[in-house]
Amino acid sequence: MKSPAASLSRRRFLAAGSSLTFAVLAGGAVNVRRTLAQTTAAAVQTPVNAWVSIARDGFVTIRYGAAEMGQGVMTAIPMILAEELDADWSKVRVEPVTHDPATYGNPKTGGVLYTAGSTSVEGYFEIMRRAGAAARRVLIYSAAHHWSVPVAEVTTEPGKVIHARSGRQLAFGDVAALPRIVSEVPPIADGDLKPPTAYRLIGQRIPRLDIPAKTRGEAIYSIDIRVPGMAYAAVLRAPVEGEAAAVIDDAAARAVPGVLAISPLEEGVGVVAERWETALAARDALKVTWTRRSPFRTADSDADLARDAAAAADLGRPGTVWEARGDAPAVLRAAARIVEAEYATDHVYHAQMEPLAAVASVDEDGKGAEIWVGTQSQTVTLGVATQVLGTTPDRIRFHAVQMGGGFGRRTFFGRELLRDALILSRMVRRPVKLIWTREDDVRNGWFRPATAHKLRAALNPDGSVAAWHHRIACPSIFGFVAPQRLAAAGNRDLLIMEGTEIADYGIPNLLSEHLITERRARVSAWRGIGWGHNLYATESFIDELAHAAATDALTFRRRLLAGRSRALRVLEAVVAMSDYGRPAPGRAHGLSFGGYRASFGAAVAEISLDSASGEIRVHRFWAAIDPGLVIQPQNIVAQVEGGIVYGLSGLLRERITIKGGEVQESNFHDYSFLRMQDVPDIEVQVLRSDAAPGGAGEIGVPMTGAAVANAFHVLTGKRLRHMPFTPDRVRQVLSA
Amino acid sequence: MIKLNVNGRTIEVDAAPETALLWVLREHLGLTGTKYGCGAGQCGACTVHVDGEPTFSCLTPLESVADRAVTTIEGLSASGDHPLQRAWIAEQVPQCGYCQSGQIMRAAALLAANKRPSHDEIVEHMSTNLCRCGTYLRIARAIERAAQES
Repeated sequence: MKSPAASLSRRRFLAAGSSLTFAVLAGGAVNVRRTLAQTTAAAVQTPVNAWVSIARDGFVTIRYGAAEMGQGVMTAIPMILAEELDADWSKVRVEPVTHDPATYGNPKTGGVLYTAGSTSVEGYFEIMRRAGAAARRVLIYSAAHHWSVPVAEVTTEPGKVIHARSGRQLAFGDVAALPRIVSEVPPIADGDLKPPTAYRLIGQRIPRLDIPAKTRGEAIYSIDIRVPGMAYAAVLRAPVEGEAAAVIDDAAARAVPGVLAISPLEEGVGVVAERWETALAARDALKVTWTRRSPFRTADSDADLARDAAAAADLGRPGTVWEARGDAPAVLRAAARIVEAEYATDHVYHAQMEPLAAVASVDEDGKGAEIWVGTQSQTVTLGVATQVLGTTPDRIRFHAVQMGGGFGRRTFFGRELLRDALILSRMVRRPVKLIWTREDDVRNGWFRPATAHKLRAALNPDGSVAAWHHRIACPSIFGFVAPQRLAAAGNRDLLIMEGTEIADYGIPNLLSEHLITERRARVSAWRGIGWGHNLYATESFIDELAHAAATDALTFRRRLLAGRSRALRVLEAVVAMSDYGRPAPGRAHGLSFGGYRASFGAAVAEISLDSASGEIRVHRFWAAIDPGLVIQPQNIVAQVEGGIVYGLSGLLRERITIKGGEVQESNFHDYSFLRMQDVPDIEVQVLRSDAAPGGAGEIGVPMTGAAVANAFHVLTGKRLRHMPFTPDRVRQVLSA
Repeated sequence: MIKLNVNGRTIEVDAAPETALLWVLREHLGLTGTKYGCGAGQCGACTVHVDGEPTFSCLTPLESVADRAVTTIEGLSASGDHPLQRAWIAEQVPQCGYCQSGQIMRAAALLAANKRPSHDEIVEHMSTNLCRCGTYLRIARAIERAAQES
């Protein structure tokens, strides 16, 4: 792609070769090249990374920039391109990309290869459909040239180019083998794209490509990689962030047969052995005295949250403004009636089923490597590899394998894990598989931070909301994972604050602000990002306002959403499907409006309570969503179901506690999440929409918190102000 | 050397007798369909059959399965088309997929013992295994489908 303008500026014919690749460049121009061409391909083309290639056997290979972690992007995103290309889906193969964010980056994640926040379909939709349409146009022009007919008479059917007038047709693979490929074609205009009524793939029930292998144990994750000569590594990590090994007694560990190396690392001590079980045994035999200098030694999650709650409540302390409409402080100062409430959430851990693992094989010269790692950001991970080895991206052969769950855990993790794998591989001059055990991952997790919320609203006598003020006190996630990005954004941290806009509610004066407090744990985003904790707080508070205005929760929301058709549509849909307000005897319904970014959602939870034990049981859960154009309807439902289970699990059970800087939980016995016996019946309705496609991975999470808390209030008259709503907390609330 | 029978083949393994069967299967034999999730018998991702019984391979010392029949996901059916595997595809169960080998092995043991389990029996039996993507409802549906079709 050295000079795309030059290579595209003239009509070009390519000589016969084995396959065609298409790179659709910024602006929609097409760059076509043949691979393995016999004659002039090398001369006419600079090497390009392509979105799609078509082989002589008719197989179409589509590359995708988003990373597969279970959300179905390796099917959904290629489908968008295949739709516009008019590909025969049974002949489509897909391939992940790792390098070159300038070509492949997601515009919704800052132009890098980064998969988070339900941005993949949203960010790649336009790119992929234009790439498909442009590649289709090259096939049409080439066939028209071959047949000497006007391009306007040439059309396509899946996998074929057709000249109906003369009854001729060519399979895509035959076009790829034509002697002359016409690669200079007019750019794709909006009107050249298919109208949704012409879609053959989008919106259909297309089975996910990854599923068959996942039923046979054949899907390969980082932890499954085995390469010749590979050794195994485990790391004994310091119990507290900021500490390191002061004294290492490794005599017993070195005596374990099969141990290859023991070495201090930035946050611990690495052990490399011929076998994994040996690495674990040798690690157990290490005796390490840790430094005692870290300020994190005093971290205490309860005390730290209390500190944040005090900061949120101290109105004299200004925060970083996230959203400001009208003049909320002035209206609140003059208001006759103010309603206030506080909410809090604890640290939560991702608990992705695949523990973290990376395989690194550093080259002889130490300046290159082959790496196998499932990551939510190929760009961040590649950056780690080049930085550790002091090299350039071209020296990293990167296998971005699929992930056994991400949920935010695998965004920046490569910094520690991949770094150590590379260092240890370079040391032993062998490929090394580094695995973090479950205990390693829980104790060294990057948690969604505990948050403290202070909400205030001015109510008018007619029950409308004159002003709304939402203060959140907690550390900044970007301040930890990407401080330059936080600074560049003026300290505005979307991972904490998004969702506080509550843009659909007709509230003329609104202020949301973030009091960034000192970080006391490793923090990162968790499925649902800021929307998870924020919608719990805001939708609970809306119920409190409704109660204060002596209005029912549904009517109150309908009034605030007046004129917002997409918002009202999901609200009315969930009310209808749940028969809202008429729960089974002994149970209660709770309502929550609120989607995720461009996707709309609303939910009803039906719960009961065992007041003796304090256990909340969620029996049924209904969700209506409008995510815009739907690529894979059955997968959207699956994603929303999964998000709801994730959200319910978090609000009922999940809590990380830190004492003396040490994470107290270590595995699934003390950090438990919902099992089959705990999940409710879930019904998801996806409303048809012509709006641009939004995301579906997160939306199930934010709608859960308030739906359950509001149902609890209907049942008991009490508010659940601190998530998770564990039985001990529920008993406290009931007895207060 | 310890002799064991995995998926119908007798194999000699050079590993310490107390080594977890999970590590032997995955790292010595390359049968990576059996997954490591917790190493503590909490999640069931490592579920295999030992003489037909669903077993946490992470808590099973190698020596305890000497001369016993171990079946992993790779050996559940000759061509990967066990009724449960077909049902898993029909119901589009997996998301990340990491727990699904264990789920299928757990479910296969249920169906082997009880051809027509009730919904409650399915829920009770399958609650041993964790799925973080939240595919539980689909897992239950797939088991019901497989039970009807087999």
